[in-house]
Amino acid sequence: MMPRSTRFVSGCLSGLHAARFGLVAASLSVLLMACGAAAVPPQELVDARAAFAEAAKGPAADLAPAQLDTAKQSLDGAQRSFDEDGASQTTKDLAYVAQRRAEIAAAEGGREKAERKRAAADKDLKNTQAQGLENYAKTKEALAAEKTARVEAERKAAIALASLAEIAKVKEESRGVVITLSGSVLFATGKSDLLPIAKEKLNQVAKALTDQGFKAIVVQGYTDSVGSATDNDALSMRRAQSVRDYLVTRGVPSEKATAEGKGASSPVADNKTPDGRAENRRVEIVVTPEK
Amino acid sequence: MNVRTLVYWCISGSTLLACGGAPVPHDALSAAQADVKGAEVGGAGENPKAALHVKLAKDQIEIAQKQIADGDNEEAARTLDRAQADAELALALSKEAKAQGDASEASEQVGKLRKEMSK
Repeated sequence: MMPRSTRFVSGCLSGLHAARFGLVAASLSVLLMACGAAAVPPQELVDARAAFAEAAKGPAADLAPAQLDTAKQSLDGAQRSFDEDGASQTTKDLAYVAQRRAEIAAAEGGREKAERKRAAADKDLKNTQAQGLENYAKTKEALAAEKTARVEAERKAAIALASLAEIAKVKEESRGVVITLSGSVLFATGKSDLLPIAKEKLNQVAKALTDQGFKAIVVQGYTDSVGSATDNDALSMRRAQSVRDYLVTRGVPSEKATAEGKGASSPVADNKTPDGRAENRRVEIVVTPEK
Repeated sequence: MNVRTLVYWCISGSTLLACGGAPVPHDALSAAQADVKGAEVGGAGENPKAALHVKLAKDQIEIAQKQIADGDNEEAARTLDRAQADAELALALSKEAKAQGDASEASEQVGKLRKEMSK
């Protein structure tokens, strides 16, 4: 289609006589100049230029270059129309479309950018989920291992306690688990050296203690009320020490084991009868259990 | 009037006639209407900016139809170019808004999961 100005010129030219051509052409060029130079670009073209500049600054430049190029061509077309034809309706229409093309390019760029962001987030989500599952599995594994260990420890402790109960009286008191060994089994009368059979029993006690684990033990020696308190205190101390030292040789950590001589204090039976006195001659091992 | 002048008049007359008698832009009209439909199906109604351009496109289709009725086919074709550009822009805007919504939703999900995991 021929632009209007050209049509106008050709129409005029066709109607002119050759002799008057020069004069009319001159006045026509004045008219065109007036239009081209003084014409103010229509708002549509101003908006189209601004929209294109805005789009070119945004993500469209990298992410929607084809659409941006279409917009550029559209804007160039509008600009050409304005240069040739001024602020005609055609120029306005072309500029209107050019503005939309620029905005379409900007929107396409924005969409592409958002889609990339989403793809990255999806990937991130997948990785995070995988990490979460792995962590969960690890936690579960650790919990299972801990439970197995606890069950095993309890089983060992139960076995240790059961084996102790065979050779000694085991009682849970507020001060801890108290293992009571009869003095007559451990020592000869008035002596603090361990009898051979005592060593066998103490081996079992040491094994039970090390199997079970404990925080501390106190070995307490007791006598009956026969004889002087000083002698009894000294004897009970020597005996307790003797048991304590033997346990240490059998693997009980020495820093966890102490000895005390309690003499005739805290009798557990009547000192007037031989049986009662035998019961009072004893060694107690007070075990503070592990937390 | 000599023969040459007559020939000039004939040529220029036929040129003007051909332009004035531009064909009815049937194709452009259906294309613009299809683009409006496409934008509406694409969810342009959910985004205010996109909805505005759908409205502009519809208004211009109406104007173009009047221009066609008045025999201004050339003007109608250019009005339909405007309508089509608006409809395409509406679709592009609604697609962009949807993509942005999806992206922020995905980031939010990642953030939520991370927060849960760090508990």
